[in-house]
Amino acid sequence: MEKNIDKTSYDALVIGAGIAGGEAALNLANTGYKVLLVDKELSVGGKMIMLSKVFPTLDCSACITTPKVSEISRHSNITIFTGAQASNIRKIGEKEFTARINKQPRYVHIEDCTSCQLCEEACPVSVSDQYQYGLIGRKAAFIPFSICSPKAAAIDIENCTLCGACERACPTNCIDFTMEPEIIDIKVKTVVLATGFKLFDPLDIPRYGYGKFKNVITAMQMEREIAPTRPFNTILRPKDGKVPDKIAYVLCVGSRDASVGNPICSQICCMYSIKQAQLLMGALPMADVTIYYINIRSFGKGFEEFYQQAKGMGVNFVKGKIGRITEKENGNLILRYEDINSGKLQEEEHDMVILSTGVLPNEGISELFEGDTLGLDKFNFIGQSDALAGPSRTSIDGVFVAGTASGPMDIPDSILSAGSASSEAISYLIQHS
Amino acid sequence: MEVEKGKTAKYLREKLGGVPEQAKHNLKEFNSIKKLMLEALKEEDLTVIQLSEKLNMPTDKVFYYLMSLVKYGFVKTGDIDDMDEYYTYKLNE
Ligand SMILES: Cc1cc2nc3c(=O)[nH]c(=O)nc-3n(C[C@H](O)[C@H](O)[C@H](O)COP(=O)(O)OP(=O)(O)OC[C@H]3O[C@@H](n4cnc5c(N)ncnc54)[C@H](O)[C@@H]3O)c2cc1C
Ligand code: SF4
Ligand code: SF4
Repeated sequence: MEKNIDKTSYDALVIGAGIAGGEAALNLANTGYKVLLVDKELSVGGKMIMLSKVFPTLDCSACITTPKVSEISRHSNITIFTGAQASNIRKIGEKEFTARINKQPRYVHIEDCTSCQLCEEACPVSVSDQYQYGLIGRKAAFIPFSICSPKAAAIDIENCTLCGACERACPTNCIDFTMEPEIIDIKVKTVVLATGFKLFDPLDIPRYGYGKFKNVITAMQMEREIAPTRPFNTILRPKDGKVPDKIAYVLCVGSRDASVGNPICSQICCMYSIKQAQLLMGALPMADVTIYYINIRSFGKGFEEFYQQAKGMGVNFVKGKIGRITEKENGNLILRYEDINSGKLQEEEHDMVILSTGVLPNEGISELFEGDTLGLDKFNFIGQSDALAGPSRTSIDGVFVAGTASGPMDIPDSILSAGSASSEAISYLIQHS
Repeated sequence: MEVEKGKTAKYLREKLGGVPEQAKHNLKEFNSIKKLMLEALKEEDLTVIQLSEKLNMPTDKVFYYLMSLVKYGFVKTGDIDDMDEYYTYKLNE
């Protein structure tokens, strides 16, 4: 049964605690406003906290994200709800919004959890680890990942056998299966949407063999393999645990492709693939890395130099359109492609293929609103009501958009966009106080 | 109802009238694969491909479960072969 908790008031509701939502929340909180930051995941940090290093500087992503996440978590003006989603957002008059927060039970009292992992050790269940993108298992009682925030265990109730072993092992008695979903009705003065993006599902292009050929993985999976919090001791291919030595990247998977419903460029895939290629050459000095591309879009500051640096390190760039990928008995993959320069069909064997999947809009964001309509752009990202004069304004006065919720962008641009959204929200709060 | 701290799983089990079938099935599958793998590794250190041949199980399934057993501390990574391609895995005793 769901509990109905009393109404609570905040100045701003920020939905999505990735780098954009986190930055917007911090800016608002540092200006003295009370912020409620909600994220549907068990940790704040969005996709950035899962990355290895960042282009073009090759700074460690976790080293940048962790201090920011801890600043957000400790800020007295920020209340964080993880495992929570907002709905029924309605504008009441000129100055106020009401919203409903649906908070799923974690079955662990986070304030008492010391993240000792004794529950994890005791839990007999093993299921696919969503935070390692299915490369490895995790327990039903689990700490989502080592740098998660809040750093506390959670129970995956769908896979839990309710054996009680975790409870018996927990030294602080903080596991609590009596927890129930909570509904919290709130009042806020402004809303920032920072719901981010979703990645294209490569199963939608069966000719690339993803899902069927286990040595075809996504760039997000490779991001995990090369991150300091990696699932394996080194880079291994999932078909048979071989250390790969002839790796291929296929760019624009699900981007710039009207046939799969996404005609636009994802803006980040060229650069994250070039980044990963460089990191792979560092981790596996004997490996050959080839990037199959249509065009390299190295448009940002330092990006062209980063591309040239990869070439200088020996990354092989082939201007080629991949037609089909097939698998040999030993797990190696044959890439059949059209060499764009010569127009000839070619074949090349690799022992691992990484699909650089594109950026898509998250669905269902407009449905969070009642009364006023949240406009979307023609690609279904959150519509910017005036992309030139006020890029973070939306079709609803008082609702702002930050980061990749409005379209593909990299981390620095997401932070800039969050700066813009929080400035607009602050200005709106001052005008409507 | 007052539920004793540290015994709340029993409360939920009674409230739900048991445990979901899928959860029971997953646990059974994991336990049987874990048992097979640990027994095979008791005899000798093996690569993923060797373990797959021994257990007559697809290599990708062996890899996934073996890596999970490494993570949970039952198995550890051994040496890599002369070609620097495949690691062997051994019991973590
Ligand atoms: C493989 C890969 C490598 C990359 N490498 C780099 C790099 O090296 N350098 C770089 O600059 N960029 C890189 N990027 C891009 C970078 O990840 C994004 O620019 C950045 O993460 C965008 O942040 P965001 O906050 O807008 O979105 P996200 O990180 O997607 O965060 C959105 C948050 O909103 C939450 N959310 C969504 N919907 C709801 C809802 N309805 N209710 C509550 N919460 C919700 C999500 O759980 C998530 O936490 C890479 C991306 C990928 C895929
Ligand atoms: S829930 Fe208990 S056993 Fe699990 S990590 Fe937290 S304190 Fe440790
Ligand atoms: S009660 Fe659930 S989470 Fe806890 S140990 Fe048993 S299966 Fe794992």
